[in-house]
Amino acid sequence: MTALFEARGVTKRFGGLTAVSGVDFVLAGGIASIIGPNGAGKTTLFNVFTGLYEPDAGTVTFRGRSLGGLRPDQITALGICRTFQNIRLFGNMTAAENVLVGMHARVPLSLWDVLSRGPRFRRVESRLWTRAAELLERVGLRGAGNEVARNLPYGDQRRLEIARALASEPTLLLLDEPTAGMTQAEAATLMALLRSLVADLGLAVLLIEHNMRVVMGVSDRVTVLDHGEKIAEGHPQEVQANPRVIEAYLGRGWAGRARSHRADGQ
Amino acid sequence: MDFELLVGILPQVLIDGIILGFMYALIALGYTMVYGVLEFINFAHSEIFIVGAFVGVEILLGLKAAGLLEALPWPLLLLIVVLAGMTVSGLLAVAIERAAYRPLRGAPRLIPLISAIGVSFFLQDVIRLVESIWRNAFNLVYPTIDALNERFEITTTIDVSVKSLVVIAGALLMLWVLHALVNRTKVGTAIRAVAEDQAAASLMGIDVNRIIALTFLIGGAMGGAAGVLFGVQYGLINPYTGFVPGLKAFTAAVLGGIGNIPGAMIGGIVLGLLEAFAASYLSLLTGGAFGAEYKDIFAFSMLILILIFRPKGLLGEIVRERA
Amino acid sequence: MMTRVVHAVLAVAAVGLSAAAVSIFPRSILAFLLFQGSLLFVYLARIPGWLRLGLFGLALLVLMPLIGFVNGYYLEVATQVGIFVALALGLNIVVGLAGLLDLGYVAFFAVGAYSWAIVGSPHANLIFGGSGFPLPAWTFYAFLLVGLVVAAATGVLLGLPVLRLRGDYLAIVTLGFGEVIRVLANNLDKPINLTNGPRGITPISRPPTAFGVPYSEYFYFLVLAIVVVVVLANRRLEDSHVGRAWEAIREDELAAQAMGVPLVRMKLLAFACGASFAGVMGVVFSAKQVFINPESFTFLESIGVLAMVILGGMGSIPGAVLGATVVTVLNLQVLKGLSLWLNELKNAGVTVLGFSLADLPTQFEPAKYERMIFGVILVLMMILRPQGILPARRRQRELA
Repeated sequence: MTALFEARGVTKRFGGLTAVSGVDFVLAGGIASIIGPNGAGKTTLFNVFTGLYEPDAGTVTFRGRSLGGLRPDQITALGICRTFQNIRLFGNMTAAENVLVGMHARVPLSLWDVLSRGPRFRRVESRLWTRAAELLERVGLRGAGNEVARNLPYGDQRRLEIARALASEPTLLLLDEPTAGMTQAEAATLMALLRSLVADLGLAVLLIEHNMRVVMGVSDRVTVLDHGEKIAEGHPQEVQANPRVIEAYLGRGWAGRARSHRADGQ
Repeated sequence: MDFELLVGILPQVLIDGIILGFMYALIALGYTMVYGVLEFINFAHSEIFIVGAFVGVEILLGLKAAGLLEALPWPLLLLIVVLAGMTVSGLLAVAIERAAYRPLRGAPRLIPLISAIGVSFFLQDVIRLVESIWRNAFNLVYPTIDALNERFEITTTIDVSVKSLVVIAGALLMLWVLHALVNRTKVGTAIRAVAEDQAAASLMGIDVNRIIALTFLIGGAMGGAAGVLFGVQYGLINPYTGFVPGLKAFTAAVLGGIGNIPGAMIGGIVLGLLEAFAASYLSLLTGGAFGAEYKDIFAFSMLILILIFRPKGLLGEIVRERA
Repeated sequence: MMTRVVHAVLAVAAVGLSAAAVSIFPRSILAFLLFQGSLLFVYLARIPGWLRLGLFGLALLVLMPLIGFVNGYYLEVATQVGIFVALALGLNIVVGLAGLLDLGYVAFFAVGAYSWAIVGSPHANLIFGGSGFPLPAWTFYAFLLVGLVVAAATGVLLGLPVLRLRGDYLAIVTLGFGEVIRVLANNLDKPINLTNGPRGITPISRPPTAFGVPYSEYFYFLVLAIVVVVVLANRRLEDSHVGRAWEAIREDELAAQAMGVPLVRMKLLAFACGASFAGVMGVVFSAKQVFINPESFTFLESIGVLAMVILGGMGSIPGAVLGATVVTVLNLQVLKGLSLWLNELKNAGVTVLGFSLADLPTQFEPAKYERMIFGVILVLMMILRPQGILPARRRQRELA
């Protein structure tokens, strides 16, 4: 059975720098996290997955279909959508309008429908706006629909980005550091949201995260990148204890100490 | 096809092309330096260029009216008008930057560009206004300086006017001075630093505002010099004459690689030669169907093609590191 | 409640009194400006929608033509305003909504104009031989559609290669394209005489009018009708997934693409839609003027339309209407009026501070200073109020 999402041997170079090297990644469902020190190539990997970059080597397939050569909007239409590390909302548009833009790939209207504004148009538009309100409510932004996006508080903006990504009816959601800058409480709410998305909508979610509490708390599986290579993968607990991972984060010399620390503590 | 004729006019075409090319190179420098430092097309540069020409013509007409035109030796005359043109144009460029661009420094790219277009249009009519009131005419002709019009024989079939030689020599001198300035002086290094990374340059203690003003001053001065030389070479100017050469010079800057100073020089000369060839040979090659009037389309088409197919230009662009 | 009544009374009074003023003082530009100002007041006043619509209808359908009887030039101005309103609305889609700075917009206007000019005059006989042209005058109506399609196609052809360029390069390329069209129009009189070069094309047929209405009134109503259609089309586009996609592209095209917006297709659509309005008005323009030549389609016109959009407000329909009105009136009335007034003062031997105005150089004509006006508008608006006089308002919706 082909997995939902498969990346094999993905390599991406920028001039002399190899950002990602020979990374394999498979996702069948649930929530997976990609972690690693800064500069490990995580966002570059996301950019390859979503079509922003063409890989120099390797393949990416989604539901058995190769994503090579596809533009980002085509990939979104297939069912993959993302958020950005630095929030990239449409600042001067309202929250509701932001979400509506996310639905673009799913709007079944033609130019003629728009110009003639017949009953079909009204029906579809009404449905779009209703759905936008639902999505806003789901991420906890009920009532904020008419707010201009750049006036929203930071945490709300992050959640709006998720609502916008959900608008395209994705099967796979890629979130780039969704809890960056959030308080513990906000991060916990987000974790609950992610779990509900998987449970209710059957989404697969892939996170890039630095907040270990979130990673441990919500992931079914964790993948670790360092200097563009995958150095570990598995259950959160396994990865946490992996000496190579500890070394990547804390440097050599800590791996041994961590092992003995645990031996004493447990 | 009359091959002999085609070859026969070749030397003249080359000379015309080189003169045109140096003129474009001088103007292109203004565009490329400003773009290198601010990533911004100074649309008003075409008017800064033509203001230089107007300064030159006013001085010469004034001297003529005072009967001094014949009295002074022509090298001195040229020196005076070129320096005057450089000064006025340079200062004008600085003033424009301060008034119309600096307030918009942080804004999205298109906003200062629109402002620059506005300045360009505004200046055209200001020149018209000033000349209408001062001289009741704004289509002005450079007074002839006889010494300059003498022709100089290079071979039995090729001759060139002293004027052309002076223009070429003047342009070369200025290009050399600029090159030395940008590459061998502290100020030049500061300009290159600001062009590469404004934030880092300012952290190193460089006064970014002052350097930007200086860049406009130098670019504007080059444009002003080009304006005077343009007036001397071609004779007839009006407030709207700057637009087309300005656009072509921008093409030259992009052709050589925007932000790249040697690139602007090379781009200017290449474009000048191409245009001279087009002007002279197009009619002959197409049997009169398309003549010299199409040389402007030629330059504009070049612009479009370069921007689409090789926006980095011949020598590669030098623009700021994108975060 | 009281404010609404006061506003309503004021609105009706403004329109009525200013119209009366114009009929009493037909030569007074000030009276006509007051009339136009009253329409702005009607737009801004807090009055019920039906009253607003009713007053606009009254002013534009009844009062304006009546004013035309009193002073034909005002009707001409109103018609020109209408033409430029359509152009501004077209450019508004490209620049204001999608954020693509097109500096060669007038090329689409030219394409539409020449398409009717060539076949609607005997000129086409020079191209195709024989004497089959001009086409019967009623084909003008079909050509409204032809001009639309031809201009839209030109927009797509221009857009295809250039749309991936970054903002300022796109601007310069479109400028270059506009210039190429102008030089072509000026020089395509050989080898085949397509455009008749600088001599222009004339006489261009006008369509038959109904009920023997004189042409000045006829064109006024035709332009008004087209403007209404253009405004409707704009509003429908703006308040749809198409308009939202355009705005998203303007805000952040990378994010827009990541959200599923096909960039090239939407940008081409913006170009085509914007161009189509210019194309239709081009056809009307050539029939109205009876004579066109490349002089009407220069960079100055492109920048003029840009100034209108910027002044009124990028991405704002009422803004584009206001901008087009203000700039056209400035050029056609205020500047011209200043010229005339100055001449009268000169002839009367008036002196200012001991300086006789008759001594002012003859070359100084305020009517020619359109460039200065455009320049000042562009610079001041960018520095002081980049969102325009009537900025686009965010759509507020009742969400369930």
